[in-house]
Amino acid sequence: MIRLNDVSFQYASGLGGVSEINLTVHEGECLVLTGPSGGGKTTLTRLLNGLAPSYNAGKLTGTIFLNGKSLAQTPQFALARQVGSIFQDPKSQFFSSDLAGEVAFACENYGLPGEEIQKRTNHAISAFSLDDLRFQNLDVLSSGEKQKVAIASVYALRPNIYVCDEPTSNLDREGSRQLALILKKLKAEGCTLVIAEHRLSWLRGIADRFVYIRDGKILWERSAAEMEHLSAGQRKADGLREIIESRNMNVSFSMNHGDKRPILCVTKLSCKRKKTDVFCDISFSAYAGQVTAITGHNGVGKTSLALVLSGLWKEKSGQILINGVKMRPGERRKQIWYGSNDTGTQFFTNSVTEELLLHLERSEERLERTRSLLKRLDLYRYKDAHPASLSGGQKQRLSIACGILSERKILIFDEPTSGLDGGNMGIVADVLQEEAHMGKAILVITHDEELIRCCCDCLIKIDEYGNRA
Amino acid sequence: MQRENLAVPVKLWALGCTIIGISLTDDTILTCVLVMAGFLYLAVQRNWRLLQSFGVFYGILAVLLYLIRNHGLHMVLFSEFYVLMFWNLFAVFLVGWDLITTPPGELSAFMSRIHMPTSAILGLLVMFRFFPTMKAELKNVWCSMRNRGLTAPAQFFLHPAESCEYVLVPLLLRCLQIADQLSVSAVARGAEAPGRRSSYYEKSMTLKDWCCFILWSAVTVLFLWKGGMRI
Repeated sequence: MIRLNDVSFQYASGLGGVSEINLTVHEGECLVLTGPSGGGKTTLTRLLNGLAPSYNAGKLTGTIFLNGKSLAQTPQFALARQVGSIFQDPKSQFFSSDLAGEVAFACENYGLPGEEIQKRTNHAISAFSLDDLRFQNLDVLSSGEKQKVAIASVYALRPNIYVCDEPTSNLDREGSRQLALILKKLKAEGCTLVIAEHRLSWLRGIADRFVYIRDGKILWERSAAEMEHLSAGQRKADGLREIIESRNMNVSFSMNHGDKRPILCVTKLSCKRKKTDVFCDISFSAYAGQVTAITGHNGVGKTSLALVLSGLWKEKSGQILINGVKMRPGERRKQIWYGSNDTGTQFFTNSVTEELLLHLERSEERLERTRSLLKRLDLYRYKDAHPASLSGGQKQRLSIACGILSERKILIFDEPTSGLDGGNMGIVADVLQEEAHMGKAILVITHDEELIRCCCDCLIKIDEYGNRA
Repeated sequence: MQRENLAVPVKLWALGCTIIGISLTDDTILTCVLVMAGFLYLAVQRNWRLLQSFGVFYGILAVLLYLIRNHGLHMVLFSEFYVLMFWNLFAVFLVGWDLITTPPGELSAFMSRIHMPTSAILGLLVMFRFFPTMKAELKNVWCSMRNRGLTAPAQFFLHPAESCEYVLVPLLLRCLQIADQLSVSAVARGAEAPGRRSSYYEKSMTLKDWCCFILWSAVTVLFLWKGGMRI
């Protein structure tokens, strides 16, 4: 059992933290921390796994008890054996380039006997259906596969408590479903789960209690049953994502475009990298004025398709026409914007404003448009901030703003809402629709079905055999 | 086909043998004996990729050496000195490259066995992860620059300092971020636990390892005996 008695934590930098937290997590319970980005969910998970204040320095008041013992008296390495941590971005957390080495890492640190490590590692690999990846380099896995490896590496140590910080932000529907099954299994084994998460629907049947945190404080707690009866109005007021997954997309994807000519026409497009076919024979059209969703399993080649379309990679075969004209990669780069899902390497200047206006003429009209877009995306107060100092969700919105201001006619965004709460997801959906209505063709690579329902007019599903609209 | 690595002590012994061999030999051309032993050593480990690439490179060196010695070939960029240097040191490069491409888990298992401190082992693991991670980041930065039109030749020539800044700023920031995330990941998975670190790859010397150990010793002794020593 975990108990937090009047706990407050302020980061040494003075930014963020939580205050007056009183919370009890019972053994075998699944507690979900939810609320807007920057509200204090991650800080609370760090307090539970001991990273704050032992790694993230700051001032802690109040007491945290784990099974009756104060965390302040427990060394970090002893705590890490009881509390397993699963983070948001797995790709920069690996210590090994091979699967078994990575999954075994924690067990090795605790000096478990070699045979025991092999037993636990092999069991974790099988439990997560990772056997096929045994001889692959971890660097080439898709983000969903990397997240599975990261979870398996914690699972091998067999902690009693799992603290997860947005574990599904890089997973598709199938990945989330698999994760849900694993968490259900862990819960059935008696493990305690604490999950900080925006996406709530996949937790149905696992979560026992939801805690809403905003501005560092717990504002309310609700049971799973109470959450299911939350009205759409209440949900929207708190900026929450869907709690029950809709059974169908509930949107009519119109395939009738009248006599409109497509702005982007792709025919039998294939891509090959390092002697491996990434995708084959993809054909579709995108129209100005529409938001088109591109979806499919993790690792099926959606990001590669976007890179080829935007001229950043070369195609193996097939044809890409823009306004009826076949274009080479160099020409496509001037027509199509690609907003990557990795925002860490996308920004080059010292301020948000500079970033938006990089290499653009600073006319009064453009400056005004920049200002209004920043306000629309709730970034105006950060206009002079360094892009690196922004949170993950703010970087995602800045990346979208850069794409819109690039004035290219076709914009591709790769998972633009993976780390966004319900409120910000809604804002992004509205902005994408507005830009489409202004005559742009927008393609969104996403697993986020809520986003698809909110703003997409067309859906292209990619599988191993090509695409189906 | 999956690579079958020999034990790390054998790999270190092979590296030691080649260094001793090429340092003491009197006959530079005869170092091909050590190289052939090196190729056999790669084949035993089923390291076909390395065998293929190093084999092609050695073949080119052999042709160049033949042309230099018999037809007076003289190249400006890759002079006779470099050809002879590569020919002479090739066995060390071959065995050394095989050693550093050993899975980091096997190297750390060996380091644990010889009671190296955990901090040194984690340092080695981080070092092995650093290069592929930074390579991937650099690729992403370059991709973003192309997407934003910052890689046009005119941009590079007219504003070289600015272009360098575009590469370095996101790369250094990512470097800091990755260092932070790696540390958090290590701490949260018990990297600070006291006591000896163990390993998934723990394995003892097999018959094949002993055979390779003896083979390298014998080849080096024979090579120095027949080729002569320069002491």
